Amino acid sequence: MERKLRITVGDKTREVTVQELGADGHPLPAAVAVAAIAAAPQRRPLDPKWSTIQRDTNERMSHMLPYLTRGSKVFQPADTVAVLNAVIRSGDRVNIEGNNQKQADFLSDCMCKLDPKQINHLHMVQSSVPLASHLKAFELGIAEKLDFAYAGPQGAAVAKAITLGKLKLGAIHTYLELFARYFIDLTPKVSLVCAYEADKDGNLYTGFNTEDTPLIVEATKFRGGIVIAQVNKIVDKVQRVDIPGEWVDAIVQSPKPFYLEPLFTRDPGLITDTHVLMAMMALKGIYAEYGINRLNHGIGFNTAAIELILPTYGEELGLKGKICQHFALNPHPTLIPAIESGWVQSIHSFGGELGMAEYCAARPDVFFVGPDGSMRSNRAFSQTAGHYAIDMFIGGTLQIDKYGNSSTATAGRVAGFGGAPNMGCDSHGRRHGTPAWLKCGEEFTDQQNLLGDVPRGKRLVVQMQETFQEKMASSFVERLDAWKLAEQAHLDLPPVMVYADDVTHILTEEGIAFLHRCKGLEQRMAAIRAVAGYTEIGLQAKPAETKSLRAAGLVKTPEDLGVDRRRANRSLLAAKNIRELVDWSGGLYDPPARFRNW
Amino acid sequence: MSTWHTLQERSFLESSARQRAIGLVDAGSFSELVGPLERFVSPHLPILGEAIEFDDGIVTGVGLLGKHPAIVISQEGRFIGGSVGEVGGAKMVGALKLALSIFESLQQGSAAEAEARRPIVLISFETGGVRLHEANAGLLAHAEVMDLLQDLRRKVPVVALIGSKIGCFGGMGFIAAATDVIVMSEFSRLGLTGPEVIEQEMGRNEFDASDRALVFRTTGGKHKFIMGDCNFLVGDTLADFRRQAQHVAQMSMIEIEGMRRIGSRGAVERQMKLVAFAADLRPRDSTDMWKALGNKEPQQLIAASEEEFQKIAVRWNA
Repeated sequence: MERKLRITVGDKTREVTVQELGADGHPLPAAVAVAAIAAAPQRRPLDPKWSTIQRDTNERMSHMLPYLTRGSKVFQPADTVAVLNAVIRSGDRVNIEGNNQKQADFLSDCMCKLDPKQINHLHMVQSSVPLASHLKAFELGIAEKLDFAYAGPQGAAVAKAITLGKLKLGAIHTYLELFARYFIDLTPKVSLVCAYEADKDGNLYTGFNTEDTPLIVEATKFRGGIVIAQVNKIVDKVQRVDIPGEWVDAIVQSPKPFYLEPLFTRDPGLITDTHVLMAMMALKGIYAEYGINRLNHGIGFNTAAIELILPTYGEELGLKGKICQHFALNPHPTLIPAIESGWVQSIHSFGGELGMAEYCAARPDVFFVGPDGSMRSNRAFSQTAGHYAIDMFIGGTLQIDKYGNSSTATAGRVAGFGGAPNMGCDSHGRRHGTPAWLKCGEEFTDQQNLLGDVPRGKRLVVQMQETFQEKMASSFVERLDAWKLAEQAHLDLPPVMVYADDVTHILTEEGIAFLHRCKGLEQRMAAIRAVAGYTEIGLQAKPAETKSLRAAGLVKTPEDLGVDRRRANRSLLAAKNIRELVDWSGGLYDPPARFRNW
Repeated sequence: MSTWHTLQERSFLESSARQRAIGLVDAGSFSELVGPLERFVSPHLPILGEAIEFDDGIVTGVGLLGKHPAIVISQEGRFIGGSVGEVGGAKMVGALKLALSIFESLQQGSAAEAEARRPIVLISFETGGVRLHEANAGLLAHAEVMDLLQDLRRKVPVVALIGSKIGCFGGMGFIAAATDVIVMSEFSRLGLTGPEVIEQEMGRNEFDASDRALVFRTTGGKHKFIMGDCNFLVGDTLADFRRQAQHVAQMSMIEIEGMRRIGSRGAVERQMKLVAFAADLRPRDSTDMWKALGNKEPQQLIAASEEEFQKIAVRWNA
């Protein structure tokens, strides 16, 4: 069945041939078919045999069409559930955009209002599930399977849903790993994304918080999928086109701006004297020792302390211009004093941090700022940079076992990995040399045993952790809780954040263990015991053995490093509270209410 | 240990109880009483398996402000939130008794000398009130302190200095209210029921304790200054607080009595007027109150530095 029609969409008129389109062989209502074709650019007619995906998408979009405002891609918030109902089918792979920072929360809420009798068995493929509504979709029976990277606050709910049989877990990934699978075997059919602005044609401005959007949209749209965006505001002209309108099928202005979590903000007021001591040890024993110029800092007070003593202790050690010049890093507010003091040359960010947009925009020499004057973050690129182009990852964890494997998983919580393992590992595909990478490789005794006389570098992976944490929980354990979790939640393997063979240094308040310099597992374990303090692992250390490790430079205490403990206090912090960070920024940093003490 | 001179420019907010005690009085004049070397420790905490401190989280001692003997009580928030237990409470009580006995012995001499050397009590609060691990003893100490404040009234000025991280809450909020003069910085807080407890009891819609900006504009120094709950708002250095204490030491006892916010018929009437004003206004936020009192742009007050704030803030005036 074939007919010729003249159609007008917006100000464009086109003559088209409408073909039989329905999956079941029935012709579609003419108006619907016409609009579906008109929305697509003119091209050679497709062979039905080779365009099943596109024809399926067209059919679904035809059901969405009645909700779109004439001549635009805009639908009303009240019609959101109906729109989702039109385009989502049982068993679909669906992505709800969200990571550890921004969330397409309105669309996620609306998806939970679908009728589980009609739409079910969804396979959610998404960076993270930190919202209650993400888990609700599983509880209601709309969603069934999950492939993700990070659960954060919903870690316990994920574990519970697995135990109750409400959630089938595909795998816990790192961000890059999951992104890679979007292009191989986990491509979403429908993606629900979020942006700051959209125009009526669907062009999106994701700006400071661009994060995962380009990647999700590309994976979805270029495999004939459907992209729906919630935006804070529909405007006549977007500030900058981050996502071309052709790749977005429908947009809705959400009743509230999308949720943003200030995950990377640490209040300097909560940094302790011990954090300062460890930060001093890190600067002297690792940053200065290796000349670390390209790096990533994990989340936490330890690295915040390092950032805040760069302009004081770092300056005193004469390290400015020698270390910390290039970062793959979210815009950490605690880095403001170092940036303002001229330490940092460039920062590429995974995401945007709440309150930092204006500051970043005003420092285009440092951040990646677009021609429109606002920063653009990009998680996929920054993770790639963090995997291939940095010489050191330094960050905290929750538990380290006697071999040096570490994990943030605890019994009953599937927290996920996020992006840390992409940086907290040696990138085996790396082929370019830098002094820090080469020096670390030269010291990596065990690697040399497998390579013969060929030189190869090594990324520094530093675990920085006090021996005890809040509520006297020990950081060093015989066996990771991850094992218990793997059993409870039926995981394929215990979720390990950083594997022992990747770790080069463990830094505690007791000292630094240089694991990569050790010969074999036994010596590594001895070095770990030597810095594990009064934990069950640390108490097994033998004084004579620790002494010989110190003599061999495999373990260094603050005294060995020449760090004066008496100076290890908060007075070394360039900013002691959030207010002082605002002052350092010249008023450009606008901290969220929960961090203000004024 | 830092010298007295470097302490002066140090942030009050950042200072430990001992640094505050040393820095609040004249250079080199502070002597600690019942200090950590005496090892008067809580008898209750070890039974509960909790760690102890050799000073039980309170520093007491004497120093000078010019000619005036200054009895100093300074609480340490880093030890169990500055909570007051049996030993810490007894140290407070002992210090206040000492102030009274100094006053009385000075009365034996000439009237001019007694006036010129009138003692002063400085309490640097950093506490959430009673230590729950030893609540009975702690409560008793609160009562004894309250009693002594009445004994000291019109004789020895008692000054509350509130500029530390934890602020001053719980039973110690009552004690602070019963002192003669309250000095605060904008970074500290004063109240009875702490924000977390309000949220727990009344729900998040009533009070969101995680919204620190809300917490500070409801309990912080600026709000307390506008409402007349604190007498002086000062900057955040030890020198700023010390200067204010010196200033009070030189005031007459009549002026000091006039600083009290409670404790007389006139003061009660003023408070009742404020309650009526607030009840009529039905404020949804402290900034509504500020506006009603004549502060046209409350947001400006929040962002203002302490100096700017002093210039522009309009205070409650019954």
